[in-house]
Amino acid sequence: MTATDLDAAANAIVQRATDRFRAHRDQILSSTDRLFMWLMLGQWVFAILIALVYSPYAWEGKVKTVHAHVYTAVFLGAALSSLPVALALLRPGWVVTRHVIAAAQMLWSALLIHLTGGRIETHFHVFGSLGFLVAYRDWPVLITATLVVAIDHLIRGWIWPESVYGITNPEWWRFLEHAFWVAFAIQFLIIVCIRSVRDMRMLAEKGAELEALSEGEWRRSSVLERVDPAPPRPAAV
Amino acid sequence: MAGSSPLGSPAAYDRVGLPEANGAVRFVTKSEFENLPVAERVRLLMGGKLQFFRGDRQLTAREALKGA
Repeated sequence: MTATDLDAAANAIVQRATDRFRAHRDQILSSTDRLFMWLMLGQWVFAILIALVYSPYAWEGKVKTVHAHVYTAVFLGAALSSLPVALALLRPGWVVTRHVIAAAQMLWSALLIHLTGGRIETHFHVFGSLGFLVAYRDWPVLITATLVVAIDHLIRGWIWPESVYGITNPEWWRFLEHAFWVAFAIQFLIIVCIRSVRDMRMLAEKGAELEALSEGEWRRSSVLERVDPAPPRPAAV
Repeated sequence: MAGSSPLGSPAAYDRVGLPEANGAVRFVTKSEFENLPVAERVRLLMGGKLQFFRGDRQLTAREALKGA
């Protein structure tokens, strides 16, 4: 086996390992997009139910009307879910799709917090969502999600604090406290994502090593057969 | 059972002997070997000159890689 042959065969094995790694990664990204698509639709239904149960009606004097929260859940919820669902259907695995989904998921947290009157318990949705986003094994989506939730808390805490904290006069730095806990959570989650991708790569490389071993054994055995060929068969009578 | 994991799989290697150009052998740890670029590991494995060890026991390459 010449050095050129060895290099060509080795490069082909490495290329196959790289292809296997990419295919595995693409499959995870696409299937996670589809998972979030169902979550987006489920959250929409859930938000409408929350609005119907929590605050179905408003009163204008003696006139009973449908509460604005119901319309917010129906229309703003549809707006929040529509782009991620469309992208998950049309462009699964695309980098933009998962960042849009990450942003939309945090905006869903914001909407649910608003619909429940800023209940602190609904803020757990943020942390649950960060955990769900780890399914992508792509740490930058966690940064997108963190930025969106921090900006949401900053702006809404400033112009409409009841909507996010359930009180009218929170400290100005309250959003920083929430952002701190999100940052606390994601630093661990980022490490999990990085390790997970490293393990996927190692798995692909392990396959390449075994393939190289088999290829080397086969090539060496072929050389031996050429050096010491089997005796020729007697000619048929 | 010596040389086996609790699950009975073959023993993983902990040391690898790499052939040098001058005929000598350079020993590296498992993690040092795994940190070599994959293309280099593949070339070395195809060359069939690697020596795998667990402690003092030499393993075949197949034993070593399946147990790793």
